[in-house]
Amino acid sequence: MATLAQPVKGPMRPNIASADIQLPAVRDFEQVDNEIAATLGPSKGWFLGLALSVAAMLVGAGAWTYQIYDGLGHAGYVPPVMWGVYIITFVFWVGIGHAGTLISAILYLFRAGFRTTIYRVSEAMTVFAVMTAGLFPIIHIGRPWKFFWLIPYPNWRLLWSNFKSPLVWDVFAISTYLTISTTFLYIGLIPDIAVLRDREQNPTRRLILSILSLGWRNTDVEWRNFTKAYLFLAAFSTPLVLSVHSVVSFDFAMALTPGWHATIFPPYFVAGAIFSGFAMVWTIAIPMRKWWRLEHYITLNHLDATAKVVLFTSLVVGSAYLIEFFIAWYSGVEVEQSYFWNRVFGQWWWSAWIMLICNMALPMSLWSQKLRRNPTWLFILSIFINIGMWYERFVIVVPSLSHEFEPWQWTNYLPSWVDVAFIIGSFGWFFMWFLLFVRQLPVMAIMEIKEIVPARRKHAAVHGHGGAH
Amino acid sequence: MAYGVVANFRELDAVVEAVGALKKASVGKFTVYSPTIHHELEDAIGGGTSKVRRFTLIGGLLGASFGYWVSIWTSEYWPLVVGGKAIASWIPYTIIGFEMMVMVGALSTVFGMFILNGIPRIVVDPAYRAPFSHGDYGIHVDCAPDQESAAMELLKKAGASEVQRAR
Repeated sequence: MATLAQPVKGPMRPNIASADIQLPAVRDFEQVDNEIAATLGPSKGWFLGLALSVAAMLVGAGAWTYQIYDGLGHAGYVPPVMWGVYIITFVFWVGIGHAGTLISAILYLFRAGFRTTIYRVSEAMTVFAVMTAGLFPIIHIGRPWKFFWLIPYPNWRLLWSNFKSPLVWDVFAISTYLTISTTFLYIGLIPDIAVLRDREQNPTRRLILSILSLGWRNTDVEWRNFTKAYLFLAAFSTPLVLSVHSVVSFDFAMALTPGWHATIFPPYFVAGAIFSGFAMVWTIAIPMRKWWRLEHYITLNHLDATAKVVLFTSLVVGSAYLIEFFIAWYSGVEVEQSYFWNRVFGQWWWSAWIMLICNMALPMSLWSQKLRRNPTWLFILSIFINIGMWYERFVIVVPSLSHEFEPWQWTNYLPSWVDVAFIIGSFGWFFMWFLLFVRQLPVMAIMEIKEIVPARRKHAAVHGHGGAH
Repeated sequence: MAYGVVANFRELDAVVEAVGALKKASVGKFTVYSPTIHHELEDAIGGGTSKVRRFTLIGGLLGASFGYWVSIWTSEYWPLVVGGKAIASWIPYTIIGFEMMVMVGALSTVFGMFILNGIPRIVVDPAYRAPFSHGDYGIHVDCAPDQESAAMELLKKAGASEVQRAR
C-alpha cells in the first residue's frame, strides 16, 4: 500500500525527489487523527461558502428551468455554431476530473510519495467534477427527459443506440468513469470512516458512520484483501483516465471539421486534462491548507512536486498547439490553413491569445524553484490556468464551427445570458458538493498518512526512519 | 462470540515480536489489528496472497465479453447499412468492450474484497477495541480456556500494554 519508494536517508532538502516526500512535523498516529478530524468542525466560513455555492447553483437551476420552459433558442447558438458553452463547459469539467484519478491511481502505481496528502481532495474533486460535466450533454440535448434513449436496453420502440457514434462512447466512458471514481473514493474512505466511528460520541452520527464503515476492524485479513483490491482498482483506473478524455476528444476528431479531424487529439486532450486538473487541485488545496493550518501535511515539497507536473503538462499542451499549426501549414489544405490563421490572427485572436498566454506562457514561471514553492503564486497561476483551459475548449469548439468549408456560412458567436448562468451554476453545483463532503468526511487519507509517519517502536529502527516518538 | 484473549500494543516491533512468538507457540488462531498497513507486520504474519485477483480476472473478462456482445448483437438486430461499411465493426466496439471491462472488473474486485473480508459486518466483534483504529495495535488469540493463561503470558512478555479476556 505504501506510496513511498524509499525512506528518507538524510535531512530534507528543498528540492527533494518527489517519491521521498515525508512529513517531519507529524509525530505520531494520534496527531494525524486529531488534526484531520479537527477539519470536520463547523465554521462560519464554511456556512458562508456553502451559501454562496447554493446561490450560484440556483442561478444555473433557474436558467435551466427557463430554457426547458421556453426552448433551446436561449442558448446563444447561431447556425452553424450549434455547439457552444454547454459542450465547452462539459469538456472543461471532464478535464478537471482527470487529476483526481491520475493522482490517486497513476501516481499510486508509480509510488510517488507526494500524492499521499492531496489525493483525497483530488478524488473528491474528480467525482464532483464528473457529476458536473455529466449535466451538460443532458442540458445540451434540449429535451433532457429523453436522455435515457442513449442507454441500450430492450424497449417497445425496438430502437437501439448506435455504437459507432462518439456520443454513445461518451455515455459509456463517462458513466464508467463516474462509477469507478466514486468506488475508488469510497473504498479509500472505509478505514478512515472507521477512525471517525471510533472517535464519535454522538450515537446517531456513530450509527451512520458504523453503517458507512461497513463494520471495518483493521484486521490483517482485511488489510491484505484491501491492499490487493486497491492495487487492482488503481490498475483499472489508470487506462480508464487515459481513455475517458481520449473518447471525449473523439467527439471532435471523428468529425470532418477544420481544426478537429486530427490524430493528435487524444494525447493532446489527456495532457490538457491533467494540466487543468492539477490547477484545480491548487485552487482548492492551497486555501484549504491555509484555512485548516495543514501546511505541515501539504508541504512546500508537495506543491513543488505538483508544480513540476503542471510545468511538464504545460509543455506537452504547448507543443500540441504548435504542432496543430504546423500540421495545418504542412497539409497544404487551404481550408485548414485559413481556419488556423483565423483562429490566431483573425476573428478569434482574443480567445486564442488568452489560451496561449494562460496555458503556455505563464506556466513557464514554474522553471523557477522559488515560484514553485510560493503558494500565493501557485494559487494565482491556477486561476489563470483554469481560465486558459476553459478558453482552450472555446477555441476548439467555436472557431471551427464558425469557419468551416463554405465562406457564406462563416459567422460569429456570443454566449447568451443563459449560457453564462449555466457556467456560474456549474461552479455553484461543484463547490456545493465539495463543501458538503469536506464537512462530513476527512479531506486527507488518514490511513495512508499513518503509513508514512514512523511507527512507535520499543527499539530504534535499524534503517533510521523510525525511533520512539 | 469471541473467546480467548486480546492484547493492546503501543509499539510496532512489539506486535511483530508477539506474532513471531505466537506462531512458534501454536496456542491458537490469532487475528492482528493495525491502524494502518505495515509491510514488516504483513511479513511476520504471512498469510499468502489475496484471492481478490480471481474476482478481478473473471469480472474483467465478463465485462469485456458483454461490451463486445451487446454492440455486435445490436448491430445485427438493428442494422445501419452504410455503403460498403461493416454492419458490426470491432474497432469502435473496442471502446465499449474496454469500458465494460473496467466497469465490471473494478466492481467485481470490490465485491470480491467484500466477500473475502466478510463486510458489511452487522455483528459486533467483541475482540475489537477503538484504539486499534487510532494508534494501537492489537492481537486476538482465539484459544481454549485452558490455554488463555499461557497466551496472556506470551503476549505480556512480547510487550503488550494491556491484556484482557475477549468476552
